[in-house]
Amino acid sequence: MRAVIIRGAGFFGFWLVLIGADPVDGVAGLFTAAAATWTSLRLLPPSSGRWQYAALARLAWRFMQQSIMGGLDVARRAFDPRLPLQPGFLTYPIRLPPGPARNAFCAFTSAMPGTLPTGVDEHGALLYHCLDVNQPVVAQLTVDEELLTRALGGTDGDR
Amino acid sequence: MSFVLDLFTMGAVLAGALFFLAGTVGLLRFPDPLTRLHALTKADNLGLGLIVIGLLPQVAWPLGAFKLIAIWLMALFAATTISQLMARAARDGEPVR
Amino acid sequence: MRWGERMEIADFLLTVAVFVLAMVALGLVRILRGPAAADQMMAAQLFGTGGIAALLLLGVATEADAVIDVALVLALLAAFASVAFVQGAAPADEDIKEKNHP
Repeated sequence: MRAVIIRGAGFFGFWLVLIGADPVDGVAGLFTAAAATWTSLRLLPPSSGRWQYAALARLAWRFMQQSIMGGLDVARRAFDPRLPLQPGFLTYPIRLPPGPARNAFCAFTSAMPGTLPTGVDEHGALLYHCLDVNQPVVAQLTVDEELLTRALGGTDGDR
Repeated sequence: MSFVLDLFTMGAVLAGALFFLAGTVGLLRFPDPLTRLHALTKADNLGLGLIVIGLLPQVAWPLGAFKLIAIWLMALFAATTISQLMARAARDGEPVR
Repeated sequence: MRWGERMEIADFLLTVAVFVLAMVALGLVRILRGPAAADQMMAAQLFGTGGIAALLLLGVATEADAVIDVALVLALLAAFASVAFVQGAAPADEDIKEKNHP
């Protein structure tokens, strides 16, 4: 029930930010927020783990840092006349179980420098495409997974 | 004060435009669909982010700024999700019709 | 003075908007030539990100809030369009998933 109230309030607040506070529009906003809450509860049921906000903040900081690095990395390679690319695939044996947490990991790492998740191989490991296979990609992904696991409240222990 | 803010806007927006340039150059020069996807998602997302940051001082505070950030977050969520879908399609369907 | 300054920054933002649109156009030419289907899917993504950036610049430069709303709608639609694009262009997706999860 707590999740319903929190999400509903969040969606309605989001509506107010986007559309503005108008009494007539507000009624439409209430219905929209209710529909959004229902949809979100169906697609993403409330999880039992508690979010760790300090770890979440660290994750957000790393995301910002790394997406800047990722953009610079691509820009450097694109402008270099020699076009220094060593594209290739590598597998990352992920510990997060399939589900929202793993999806979040994939979304997160798709903005990281030089990595792009392209699916799962036959052993259940994530298959990454890399711009440069000589970069320390696996070490980087391990750090990301650890941070994300901690931010989600250590969900990988009760697997 | 407003001069300083305008300077900040110009710097950030210009940097954002440079990343759009980088994304397009990568798109033109990178050899295969997957590397092109790297160029597109990473450079353009950073470009949009910098442009949004640069525009923040030019809009009404706080609602206008929240709206810009909301648009940016939506674009970012969409991009990170879709780039994986496209990468999967690109890997499986390399030769493709 | 204040007004003149405002004009200057507005002109600057409009110039950048045109530049970003030119980048999108150039990228679209490359993308639509293919050869892989994935290249063509990227068109939706490129147009989404670049279009949003150009619209935001335009909206702030002209102080037209409606244009910002257009950018908002584009942000929403680009997401759906891209998902539809990928699903439509890769109908074998289900088989692939089954292959990957034996």
